[in-house]
Amino acid sequence: MPRLVLSGLTKAYGRLTVVDKVDLTLEEGEFVSLLGPSGCGKTTTLRMIAGFVDPTGGTIAVDGSALSAPGAVVPPERRGMSMIFQSYAIWPNMTVEENVAFGLKLRKLPREEVKRRVAEMLGVVKLDKLAHRYPAELSGGQQQRVALARAIVVKPSVLLLDEPLSNLDANLREEMRFEIRRLHDEFRITTVYVTHDQAEAMATSDRIAVMNAGRIEQVDAPHLLYTRPRTRFVAGFVGRTNLLEARIEGGILVLDGVSLGPAGQAGLRDGPALISLRPQAMTIHDAPPAGDGLTLEATITERTYLGESWDYVVRPNGTNLKLRAAAAPLDAHEVGRKVWLVIDPRQVAVVE
Amino acid sequence: MSDTVAPAPRPSRLRLLEPVTFLWIALIAALLVLVAGPLLKMLVVSFEMQETGEFTFQNYLTAYGRQRYLDALRNSLLLGLLSAAISTIIAVPMAWAVSRTDMPGKGFTWAMVLAAFIMPPYLGAIGWILLAGPNSGWINQVWRALSGAEAPLVNVYTFTGMAFVIALHSFPLVFIFVKSALDLISSEMEDAANILGGGTWTTMRRVTLPLVWPSILGGFILIFLETIALFGTPAIIGIPARINVVTTQLWQFFEDPVRVEVAAAYAIPLLLITVGLIGVQRLLLARKGFVSQTGKGGERREVKLGPWRWVLFGWCVLVAMLAVVKPLAVLLQASFAKAWGRGFSLDNLTLRNYQFLLFEHDMAPHATWNTVWFSAASATIAVVLALLVAYIVVRRLMRFGEALGFLAMAPFVIPGIVMAIGFYAAYAGPPVSLYGSALLIILAFAARFLPIAYANSQAAIRAVHPEMEEAARILGSGRLHAIRRVTAPLLKTSLLGGWLVVFIVASRELSAAIFLVGPRTRTMSVLLYDLTEQGNFEVVSAFGGILLVITMAIVGIGMKLVGRDFMLRRE
Amino acid sequence: MFLIDRRQLLALAAWSAASAKAWAQSPLTPAEQALYEAAKREGEVTWYSGQYSADASEAAGRAFNARYPGVRCNVVRSTSQVAFQRLSQDLRAGVAQCDIFSSTNGGHYIQLKRQNRLMQFRPASADGLLPILRQADPENYFQSSFLGIYLMAHNTRMVSEAEAPKSWTDILDPKWKDKLAVGHPGFSGAIGLWALQMRTMYGPDYLRRFERNKPQVGRSSIDPVTMMTAGERAVGVAVPSASTLFAMSRGNPLKLIYPTEGVIAALSPSAIPRNAPHPSAAKLFMEFTCGPALSIAVRELFNESIRPDVPPPEGSRPLDQVTMLAPSLEDAERGVPEVREQWREIFGV
Repeated sequence: MPRLVLSGLTKAYGRLTVVDKVDLTLEEGEFVSLLGPSGCGKTTTLRMIAGFVDPTGGTIAVDGSALSAPGAVVPPERRGMSMIFQSYAIWPNMTVEENVAFGLKLRKLPREEVKRRVAEMLGVVKLDKLAHRYPAELSGGQQQRVALARAIVVKPSVLLLDEPLSNLDANLREEMRFEIRRLHDEFRITTVYVTHDQAEAMATSDRIAVMNAGRIEQVDAPHLLYTRPRTRFVAGFVGRTNLLEARIEGGILVLDGVSLGPAGQAGLRDGPALISLRPQAMTIHDAPPAGDGLTLEATITERTYLGESWDYVVRPNGTNLKLRAAAAPLDAHEVGRKVWLVIDPRQVAVVE
Repeated sequence: MSDTVAPAPRPSRLRLLEPVTFLWIALIAALLVLVAGPLLKMLVVSFEMQETGEFTFQNYLTAYGRQRYLDALRNSLLLGLLSAAISTIIAVPMAWAVSRTDMPGKGFTWAMVLAAFIMPPYLGAIGWILLAGPNSGWINQVWRALSGAEAPLVNVYTFTGMAFVIALHSFPLVFIFVKSALDLISSEMEDAANILGGGTWTTMRRVTLPLVWPSILGGFILIFLETIALFGTPAIIGIPARINVVTTQLWQFFEDPVRVEVAAAYAIPLLLITVGLIGVQRLLLARKGFVSQTGKGGERREVKLGPWRWVLFGWCVLVAMLAVVKPLAVLLQASFAKAWGRGFSLDNLTLRNYQFLLFEHDMAPHATWNTVWFSAASATIAVVLALLVAYIVVRRLMRFGEALGFLAMAPFVIPGIVMAIGFYAAYAGPPVSLYGSALLIILAFAARFLPIAYANSQAAIRAVHPEMEEAARILGSGRLHAIRRVTAPLLKTSLLGGWLVVFIVASRELSAAIFLVGPRTRTMSVLLYDLTEQGNFEVVSAFGGILLVITMAIVGIGMKLVGRDFMLRRE
Repeated sequence: MFLIDRRQLLALAAWSAASAKAWAQSPLTPAEQALYEAAKREGEVTWYSGQYSADASEAAGRAFNARYPGVRCNVVRSTSQVAFQRLSQDLRAGVAQCDIFSSTNGGHYIQLKRQNRLMQFRPASADGLLPILRQADPENYFQSSFLGIYLMAHNTRMVSEAEAPKSWTDILDPKWKDKLAVGHPGFSGAIGLWALQMRTMYGPDYLRRFERNKPQVGRSSIDPVTMMTAGERAVGVAVPSASTLFAMSRGNPLKLIYPTEGVIAALSPSAIPRNAPHPSAAKLFMEFTCGPALSIAVRELFNESIRPDVPPPEGSRPLDQVTMLAPSLEDAERGVPEVREQWREIFGV
């Protein structure tokens, strides 16, 4: 039986529908991210799962029993979940230890067990030396660890995270991504993670649900989301891409008269199609490359150096296309030069 | 740059000097005169022999050499604690309900808190004498009629009665403190407790209220300090109840022969208690963090109380009845009555009391005018001074700016009556001999309410980005010019708000005024107090009515110009 | 309602209407005339009034203003001890604000005179005072300005006339527990005199026994009148006849009790401080005080007239039919502060 099931979950404020018939199923121990731009309804969905927001339609069930349905909502405190907030919501008037022990004390566990589990948990998040500090005496990353420890120590049925890393600086954010994944691997708690940062979602999740305007556009494993985006929105939102008007002619993708080889996905009909071509799917060469890959002659029209890579804009000769292509720092090409563009057809996806 | 350049000649000293430096010096002088001077003089006088001025400890021996004087001190401390405790019990649930829950009638509650706030405490005391006199009070009369009992239901002439009456007019301070702190808490703090299994009550008890603990404590301490400095209510209720407190005892030291030295010695421990309380507060709040550190707030969500919201609303209504509606009703009745004891009947109605005060009384119109212009003058002084000091402190213009800020805030925690005695000791007699002059009272009021103006100005200046001024200065405008043309206009509204609040609290101030007024400088509050000596409640109530009308007019103007909650904002 | 019969009422009404007007408008005496010119230049006079009630003081002030246009009287009414406290604060601060000082506690004058704080002046009108008031001070540092009668009264709805206490010692009976009201000697000069007189007559135990009956303590001697009117307390102790009669005239169910031992009579003077800022106006006020104008003004509010040519107020028992008890001024100076301190020890406030 799946752990968490959202079916037809809807939230409307008057005429404004912020969450629109969302269906999502999480197996036990699964880590799923809700990824989308701000205002896409992901936080509202999360808060509905937590019980802070009442749905206007649909249901939320955990282990088969409904927790939320319009007009019948189990309050947050009786859901057995836990949550990590954007602001961490660490109580500044309690020490680290007291923060972590809070949920256990509410569960009326024996004092000894509370002590033991808190100590264990603090060890796991490497805060055992700071147990008696107050939050004001901790760094941002340490506060984040307190929030994690506090949420995990109660062994929740579902762990909810609401943009937990958005208040950290870039380096810490990267570190904490791995920390979150590490804790998940250790405790296998069913987790819903809300973020607008695709790198975060990629690094942490088993599956990612991309949300836009209240709907889920695609749910898939991170690499599939990247290589096989199913909608224009997903293609544009997850990674950078070239969205191009192409045609399918007899199962073959044709872009401005250039054949890109057979369309990878099944069930595509002939006619116009939108394709996503990742900048990483192309390589730029000074001279005609050996091998029989798909190669186009092209001209460099713009370039920007980004530090980790070059960002080129190239125009395949004989077309009006402008393609963005990425290249390693040492692959420098002057603007206006003629180059050869090699395209990896496996990374071309047709999107709706 | 590796090029070597000859150092530029130093700018001449004249160009380095901002003319504004002289103003800073004047400010320091003003603060010394208003705050430090009176306190130091009081300290000095407390060790001086009357007449000769020789050093002595005799004043302290006299001040604490009698059981009765010690009893008064003990009574004051107990009264302060009890009033502060009752105020907290009254106000904290109201603040929580208004700030964080879906309780109905928030506007009503808010208006009632404001009303309780602007009602002078001595008027409330008179109202409660009319309500809860053991035999004649309306509540007891109704109680006897309904129950047939002999014993009174409530008796205002008791220790608890007095503490209760004081609390009913002090609780808005706790309310304001706690509510504004609660407003800062992000709902995520509560959500975090909810999701871990804490219900509404557990969350309030274990998370929400502990987070605003400093505000609760701050409100408690402030009310304690206000209570031990209160003169009117202890004189009006305490004497018939036969409870002597510090303020009424201090008053006795001013009997002939006037013993300022003993009064000063008697008042010094109040200062020590204040210092002690602030130390305790620091200790209790050490290390822990509170609402100010909660970081970014998330979405605010009202706590859903279900049927309990009506219980809380009932509590607010009850407080409103006790603090505002009932006392105001009986005061109004008395002010229009020939004899208030005869009750609400047409043949008991008269305008005579108002007519007497407005057209026949020699002092009443004069005292009214005094009140208006003293309050206006002291509010102006306080706001101007506070603005300048706050400017220096916030913009860090001077090395000892913080000390200035400290001086400006100090009167906040000095009991008002101690300030008054300090002013009397320092300025009543030679060499300046200000006793009986308007200036003495205006300065005392300005000093006493400087912290209100200061807190207000500080918040206002913080809100104006320094770059706005810097933009003007780089274009060649001097600092004062920049303040006048750029900063001041931006601050106008909030400064007006501060001015009005000082005006209102000054217009009802009694404890400081009572020691400083002369025959031509009596204020409405002092005249009202003098009128209560005879127990002539009809005329007293009418005069109170006039005072309230003036206050409400000012509050109305403030709401119109500054915004609805200018009185109940805490800066 | 009134304690006088119709014939008297008519006679008095006739007196009030005609004579009062005649008196009020009577031309200024040469003495007044001389002072008036100088007083006009000073413009005002400040009166620390502790003797007459607030209403009566204000009425007197208005009568003064009406009689001497151009000289304004500032009435600073408080209880006598508070008035003296303010005067003491003035003196201590070296600030002169008071032109006329009026207290029910005659002892204040002995003290001020000894400290050489008073101005010598005898108004011409003092010769027309009641014989007992005519010579308050042989050296004329102060002049009589007030004759207050302090007695007992009861609320007739709460206590019948038969049950009511008859003498100053009756109120020591425990049956009056929680039924009495009284002023405070720390505020009211008259209560100081009363307490001193009781101590003199019945020994130091009197106040202690009185305290056992838990009287409600106000500040002014007038406060118990309000308490009786309101029904808060049944019997007022040492209340002024004037305020009680005034309350009765407004329809309140009160009745005066003339204690068998006699009433407390405050034969109280007024004085001009040596440093009075408006000395001529002060002297003019003194002429006014001892003259008929003041008595006419205050008798309307049931205060005793201090002159034989102005009749006593309506409802008051003629002075020759009552025994008047009063400590001497010298006794008051010494005794009142003592008894005040004693009171505070006993009552706690």
